[in-house]
Amino acid sequence: MDATAHLLRRATFGFTASSLAEARKLGVSAWLDRQLAPAKIADPVCDKVLQRLPLAGASPAAVRAALPKHSYDAFGQLGRAAIARAAWSERQLFESAVMFWADHLHVAAPSSGVWDTRADYDAQVLRKHAFGKYADMLKASARHPAMLTYLDQRSSTKAHPNENYARELMELHTVGLAYSEADVKAASRLLTGMTVGSSGGYVYDASQHATGPVTILGFRHANAAADGEKAALAFLDHLARHPATATRIATKLCVRFVADVAPAALVDRLSKIYLANDTAIVPVLRALFTSPEFAASAGQKTRTPFEDMIATIRVLNLGPSASLAELDALYNAMVDAGNAPFRWAAPNGYPDAAAAWASPAGFVLRCNLHLNLAAGWYPKQLTRPADLLASLVPVLPATFGALVDALAVRLTGATLPPAHTAAVLSVVSKVPNSPLSNAASAAPYLIALVLDSPSFQLR
Amino acid sequence: MESCGSVVSRRAVLGGVAAGVFASTISVDLAFASDSHPGDTLIVISLHGGFDGLSAFAPIGDADYYRARPTIAVPKSTVIAGDGMFGLHPALAPLLPQWTAGTLAAVHAVGQPNPTRSHFAAMEAMENAAPGTSVRSGWLDRMLGGTGATAPLAGVSMGHATPARLLAGPAADVSMRSIDGLTLAGNDKRPIAAALRAMYADAPAHLAAPARAADRALAAMAGPRAVPAGTGYPSTDLGKALRDVARLIKSNAGLVTATVDCGDWDMHEALGPAIKGQRMYDNLLDLSTALAAFTADLGDTAMKRVTVLTISEFGRRVAENGSHGVDHGHGNAMLVLGGGIRGGKVYTRWPSLAASALVDGDLAATTDYRSVIGEILQKRCGFGDLSAVFPGVKPSAFGLAVAR
Repeated sequence: MDATAHLLRRATFGFTASSLAEARKLGVSAWLDRQLAPAKIADPVCDKVLQRLPLAGASPAAVRAALPKHSYDAFGQLGRAAIARAAWSERQLFESAVMFWADHLHVAAPSSGVWDTRADYDAQVLRKHAFGKYADMLKASARHPAMLTYLDQRSSTKAHPNENYARELMELHTVGLAYSEADVKAASRLLTGMTVGSSGGYVYDASQHATGPVTILGFRHANAAADGEKAALAFLDHLARHPATATRIATKLCVRFVADVAPAALVDRLSKIYLANDTAIVPVLRALFTSPEFAASAGQKTRTPFEDMIATIRVLNLGPSASLAELDALYNAMVDAGNAPFRWAAPNGYPDAAAAWASPAGFVLRCNLHLNLAAGWYPKQLTRPADLLASLVPVLPATFGALVDALAVRLTGATLPPAHTAAVLSVVSKVPNSPLSNAASAAPYLIALVLDSPSFQLR
Repeated sequence: MESCGSVVSRRAVLGGVAAGVFASTISVDLAFASDSHPGDTLIVISLHGGFDGLSAFAPIGDADYYRARPTIAVPKSTVIAGDGMFGLHPALAPLLPQWTAGTLAAVHAVGQPNPTRSHFAAMEAMENAAPGTSVRSGWLDRMLGGTGATAPLAGVSMGHATPARLLAGPAADVSMRSIDGLTLAGNDKRPIAAALRAMYADAPAHLAAPARAADRALAAMAGPRAVPAGTGYPSTDLGKALRDVARLIKSNAGLVTATVDCGDWDMHEALGPAIKGQRMYDNLLDLSTALAAFTADLGDTAMKRVTVLTISEFGRRVAENGSHGVDHGHGNAMLVLGGGIRGGKVYTRWPSLAASALVDGDLAATTDYRSVIGEILQKRCGFGDLSAVFPGVKPSAFGLAVAR
């Protein structure tokens, strides 16, 4: 596999003919420069879809104004927007990073209590800071009603601190399992006061703050003031800049973008870059994607069900429709696969290693989706090239074997081993040197079977 | 009565000693040679999030229970089947017939040797069930492997497309959302399954294994699909999953073990008093309604060769917090249901909820959850030696199951 295709398979949700041509023209460095400045990239196709999903990034007030209490409609729009962005945004690296942070600072959607705030969390915490500084993103999440509700911080009181957020803040968002039970108790006391007001927004309620000195993971504070917000924010800054947090975030980025077992030397370098740049994310990503470990990692990641579906849509150049029906269908396909955007129930976000997805049912669902998308059976509303086969292989070759070779190069980046080509052709009762005839009727099956091949499962 | 501290430290020593022995014996120590599993079908329900055993089987005879939980304790007056010391949460009423008939029991003050209060570390430890060893498989996979079962549907995770970590390991297993949902598109008209088989024959193991298991399962699904779905189940994830597990059992597809998830027990907020509309009540009602429907669907004869048990990563804090909920705790309760269970009672070495008996503010765990499962594996599932499933663990001697 060539270096450009490898980069696009990892840093984007899958290559298209045009994204591959553009990246080859720019080269790795210029492509990264362009993708790391997403505001400068025009995104007309995606923007048009998002106009029909106005609640996907709406403020709590806007959601409340538009929907009855506890409606799931904002969750629905948010999940569909995530599919649209992954499939059709030109800002692919930004969208990949947003998905990473959505899992890292996960607030499940749907989940009870955040019907009006989860969309805002996506816009104001994840998307706003995805290419900023982690310390800022962490503090923004800690002061967002969605996070404070999801992890029960909003009901934590001076007399009875609720430990849920304090524990996950350390275990999941920052240092990992480096904390003690005493740290949890101290942190939950320090964080009391951070809560949600009756209007649905974040407020600091000093009357519920438990004062008294705390020592947590090297952080010491007298915590004497009734208004403990400054102390809490100082603690969050301490956690964001903790070496264990640097290692943990570097490791998770490597697991997402490089290999299921993160290369130790790369983790070490990235964590140093993270600390040296005051938790800025962009220098870390640039170092990751230009590292020798990344270059050597081709074939070491497997696509999740979501990545498989989006890569299929992108490589077949399937587009959005004027309705949202195709997004409903795609979202529901991911519910079945256990991988719909933001739907992971626990606060640790979707797992990233292959073993978590390697199941018989997952394999069958993947194959079924390939055939449904290639044949245009489901979802029917996606717009398709006028002639899908011609869009993939403009000049038809003389034999079925050569056709499968051409499809494999176009869809996976390389020809299949001869035995796999023979297997693909067995579905249409052909052998490699069968002369090409009635290619149109065979095409959906050939395309689907090439997408079913082991090589397309690799990211 | 024994404090948890001493139990844990002794077990830690045992675990360390057992690790070396275990590594050399696991692969050859198969309890069964044939494919016809002579034991009960074991159904494991994972109660994710930290189940509150103190609500489900309320220690009504322990005054400290009421002191610690002024607003959420189950009142003595509303428990069912109370025996003076323990009583069932009123939302378990659908299972009262099973309790009375003696096919449903509880085991209280169970827990893991490792007292972590992290969901993720505790779930992983509970599914792996071999702390202090180099073993990285799930204990249910080891159990399945120990039976020597090779039927394509011998080990099933029902309700999710994603694999169950309990079944992670060398024994072949299948995960599925539902029986009717597991079909290969287009295969009725074209030989797609055969083409996939050929393409995955030489694939890397992590891609080939699920493809092969899918292929075998697809070929074996006709029998279970022909069994009509039972009635009376709640329309919940658990209800639907148990309904399909019953279909697998009734079709004689060779099911040895199945696991299903029943989540959402992480109640830092609004666990609530024991009345309808409160989270604990509603969750327990779903659980008990689904299990009652499962028992009725299978009938007495089939239930004679089925054992159902629940596991959860940890229990919850004894004292309630300010949100009518409870934070992460330690000791917990298990529910055991089956035709071979001596039920109608709570088995326990109760450590009491007196302040001096608590571990970090929590119910002490006086019984290792693995020893309870070990007793079931020996008495109901045909296991003599447990070392390949639970290294270093002795079965409990409660007598909670009748030997087959």
